Amino acid sequence: MNFLNKIKVITVLITILYTTIGTAQIAKAEIRATGLTCSMCSNAINKQLKTLPEVVNVETDLNTNTFVVELKDGNTLTPLVFKEKVEKAGFFIGSLIITVDSDIVLKKPYIIVKDSQNMSKQVQIQILDKGFVTEKEFRKLVKSYKSVATFNKNNEDVFHIKILN
Amino acid sequence: MKKLFIIIIVFLFQKGFSQELFLVTDPASNVPANSLSVNVQQSLFKEKFETGYTYHLMPEATYGFNKNLMFRATAFVSNRNNNFETEGGSFYAKYRFYSSDDLNSHFRMATFGRYSFNNSNIHQEQIEIMGHNTGFETGIVATKLIKKLAISSSVSFEKAFDNRPNNPFPDNIANNATNYTLSFGKLVYPKKYTSFKQTNINLMLEFVGQTINENGKSYLDVVPVVQFIFNSQARLDLAYRQELLSSMLRSAPNGVYLNLYYTFFNLKG
Repeated sequence: MNFLNKIKVITVLITILYTTIGTAQIAKAEIRATGLTCSMCSNAINKQLKTLPEVVNVETDLNTNTFVVELKDGNTLTPLVFKEKVEKAGFFIGSLIITVDSDIVLKKPYIIVKDSQNMSKQVQIQILDKGFVTEKEFRKLVKSYKSVATFNKNNEDVFHIKILN
Repeated sequence: MKKLFIIIIVFLFQKGFSQELFLVTDPASNVPANSLSVNVQQSLFKEKFETGYTYHLMPEATYGFNKNLMFRATAFVSNRNNNFETEGGSFYAKYRFYSSDDLNSHFRMATFGRYSFNNSNIHQEQIEIMGHNTGFETGIVATKLIKKLAISSSVSFEKAFDNRPNNPFPDNIANNATNYTLSFGKLVYPKKYTSFKQTNINLMLEFVGQTINENGKSYLDVVPVVQFIFNSQARLDLAYRQELLSSMLRSAPNGVYLNLYYTFFNLKG
């Protein structure tokens, strides 16, 4: 096996590894974008999100810059993809709330920093890492979660979450 | 002058949302990554020392390379030399190096560079690499969006070379200048969005100035702009450029612009 083939195999293995770790099955994502007030800007985000084959529908509230993204069953997306798409359009995420099965949040890549008592089958969770909340909010969160060793470590493979319901 | 300031103040404190898609000043924000924007700018400027008007046509294509970097190519066509001919072109790049965004607001900074070539005759002290001179321009731009208002300002250095092959830069005038702009923009319609299909109307006021570095000769223009956005994808700008002050020789400072703009989103996923 030559060098190039080795690289190919390694790349495929890494991809498989990552997709199996991240069987998050996000059913729905609610994104609030920051830094914009114009409909042409919102449309840029709308069009970026629609490039994902896993997306069934995007509903946009232009007055609040909120995008409700409905996703196909069995998708393997992680929250990172929404951050990348919004930033490609030229903006940032102000808040990201995703709907997932409750058993999933106990596993990698999720780390619960704020729990909820009554967990139903599907839960709504908010991602609290850098790039998923506003800059101001993140500064506050860093203080609140000083005790969480992995928080504020710029690690894009784990997501610190707050369970909302 | 007094009237103008009153207009600016009224303009600044009106309610509404804001826009930064200016006509003359390019804001610190870029076009979306992987999107292609096509722009056709037409202008008609009244000649000061001759009778008649000069018509300029500038077709332009802008590509978002990634979230921070964009490229633009422009062609310059005009009837200045009586025939309608292509006189040159331009390449432009802008890099956004700072962003601080919050809900409905942002502060961004970018640096840009442009190189243009042109073969037309050199007929004024004003240095203008957009359709007149061969040369380069480099500078920085900062844009602040605060809910209802977008304010953008830029400072740049511009230097002209010979307009090859037949029009060398004259020895008796200075070849480099400092440019500065200050632009205000806001969305006046709709007050509340209902869909992407809704037409938006923006009003803008731009101040564009230049000082020749060697001798301090300067000009300052004002450009009021009315902008329509259709289907959240196409743009039509109507503008008028008026000289406010000038101590340099300019052949055609006053005129009108008609700008048509269309964005093709996501050329690749």
